[in-house]
Amino acid sequence: MSPAESVSSVRSEPEAQPESSIQPERWAPRRGATLRLIGAELRLVLGRRRNQVLIAGLGTMPLLIGLVLYFTSGGPHGDGGPGFIAQVTQNGLFLVVSALFICLPFLLPLTVAIASGDAVAGEASTGTLRYLLLLPVSRTRLLVAKALGALAFVAAAVAAIALVGLVAGAALFGLHDVVLLSGTTVPLSEGLVRVLGVVLYVGASMTGLVAVGLFFSTLTEVPVAAMAATVVTAIVSTVLDSLNALSAIHPYLLTHHWYDFAAFLRLEVDWTVVAQGLGVQAAWIAVFGSLAWSRFIQSSITS
Amino acid sequence: MTTATVSRHTRWAVPGIAAAVVVAGFAVQPLLASADAGDLPAISADQLLVEVLEAEPQPLSGTVVYTADLGLPDLSEITKAVSGPALTADPANLLAGTSTLRVWTDADARSRVTLQGTTSEFSVVHDRTQAWTYSSADGAVVHYALSETDQARVAQLQALVEAGAFTVPGGMPTPTTVADDLLAQVGEHSTLSLDANVKVAGRSAYQLVLTPTSTTTLVGRVTVAVDAQTRTPLQVAVWSRADTQSPALQVGFTDVRFAMPSEQVLTWSTPAGATVKEVTIPLPSDTELAGAEHAAPAVSVTGTGWDQVLTLTVPAGALDAQDLTALATAPGIMPEKAQEYAQIAQGPHGAAVDPSALLDQLSTPVAGGRVISSALLSVLLLDDGRVLLGAVPPATLVNLAG
Repeated sequence: MSPAESVSSVRSEPEAQPESSIQPERWAPRRGATLRLIGAELRLVLGRRRNQVLIAGLGTMPLLIGLVLYFTSGGPHGDGGPGFIAQVTQNGLFLVVSALFICLPFLLPLTVAIASGDAVAGEASTGTLRYLLLLPVSRTRLLVAKALGALAFVAAAVAAIALVGLVAGAALFGLHDVVLLSGTTVPLSEGLVRVLGVVLYVGASMTGLVAVGLFFSTLTEVPVAAMAATVVTAIVSTVLDSLNALSAIHPYLLTHHWYDFAAFLRLEVDWTVVAQGLGVQAAWIAVFGSLAWSRFIQSSITS
Repeated sequence: MTTATVSRHTRWAVPGIAAAVVVAGFAVQPLLASADAGDLPAISADQLLVEVLEAEPQPLSGTVVYTADLGLPDLSEITKAVSGPALTADPANLLAGTSTLRVWTDADARSRVTLQGTTSEFSVVHDRTQAWTYSSADGAVVHYALSETDQARVAQLQALVEAGAFTVPGGMPTPTTVADDLLAQVGEHSTLSLDANVKVAGRSAYQLVLTPTSTTTLVGRVTVAVDAQTRTPLQVAVWSRADTQSPALQVGFTDVRFAMPSEQVLTWSTPAGATVKEVTIPLPSDTELAGAEHAAPAVSVTGTGWDQVLTLTVPAGALDAQDLTALATAPGIMPEKAQEYAQIAQGPHGAAVDPSALLDQLSTPVAGGRVISSALLSVLLLDDGRVLLGAVPPATLVNLAG
């Protein structure tokens, strides 16, 4: 197809070829159109008031934890739990890790579910999906744009927890050299890199659930149903993970490797552990991403 | 590419293929890891055992997975009650299930072993005559060391050894004589053979099999995978006679590198803000050593080889709830845990628990006592205070006890 024929209708600048008629059945996908679509999707997801409130709410979690520890801490290692929560009072950097640890079982999956479950079903329920489908981009690219929107939202949520945790931790407890799980003390600069590793790993751990949520979102026109199904998937995965009888399937469960972010806090980072965790997420993305694609390019979705 | 060009079949084939690729990817991984190591230079079982014993210890770092499937009654509930959920790294979890450890050693005098919890670690750092343990869950450090006078004695002895001040009467045993002695001992109670070569932690390995000649022991066989290159044992599995499908105990590398670990790994530095408990290990004095040889042993041995049974005598009533109560009041225990232990020790109604409450779960009653039976080991606890243990069926212990 020649460039003249494939000029997209959404270009804002005036076009020199008036003869190119806009025929939805004959359009060709254009990179420019796709990029603009992705841009619009990101603005939509990140600009939506309820999403901003959700991110702000997640951001208050580390603040809340920090303040509670600041006013109640009865001394070092007084409250049990994983060592790094007790360490927060000695080193504010651990507030980032502790906040992620506390948000990991429920709040983060909930955020992922809201972002990904709403992606397609939300448009379908408000009747805007049919207009999106008229855009001169293929449905595949439309789905990719939707997925990127959901991923951007999840990334923003994780980043909000990390940044607020870092700032609140620094303000309340100060930043110091980091004591690893192995008892070795590393300089603050290395500690910051390691905590960045934790943040990136936690963010990447959510991508599989994004794919699952996107798939559910293509199945229904009721966003709440897709969101609930996504949260239930995460919870069921956690429950299965706790049953010893199923230990054979544990390594392949969506949630099994979530806490392996601790690998970054050990003396020598075991990259096999990290690669396993990311590999399982990639597998879930491959399966549920392609399922979502199969469902979404089906012509029956028009509303 | 419009939607019309993608047929219905193509559409659903894509997730199908994706799922197949994913399943294949996960299925191939263990197959590759345990693939037949193929051709290794031929060696006899006897020769291999000798070379393993003569091999220079190698500096290495690696990941070790330990699996216990001893067929005990649900032990996980008990260890959970005592040590909290498995989320924390606690040596008590080694009693059952799977544990992951990481190991670093310079093959000489320094090493580090860490037990990996989900978000915690229990480290043991050993440096010549000192050792430290660190638990990340409570930040507690325990420092084990010799007293200053003992330290001096050890240094003195080491200097003497290095100066060659000791001579062994009848000449030093040569490696060959040691190996011959050992082979004779092994051959007395077991047969040594080689199984198909295997891959352990991605390295080609010979597989040495030790089969007890006795047919009355619980142990079916012991397999040792020996690295073809360095002659370092990479995996040890103990199989019970009852279960030939999976080993009762298995410990082996899943990942190993033969290189000197970094200085940072082998050095211990106490983190700021940690509570340190000093423990001095007493060395027995010369007079104590001399006395020990004449003292009556509290342990007696009956039987030979794999059928050996140890008989210990413990004061009556020693197996008491006191153990748990003592644990609860031990220094360095977190208050929550102390409370937990105290609760377990006290039981639901606040009354001191008879120890059999815990024991009941583990053991079954027999005439004159109770017996704990596992895949590899039986323990007979008699009411008169004797404890018999051995790698034999419980009935053998009962017969021996008379």
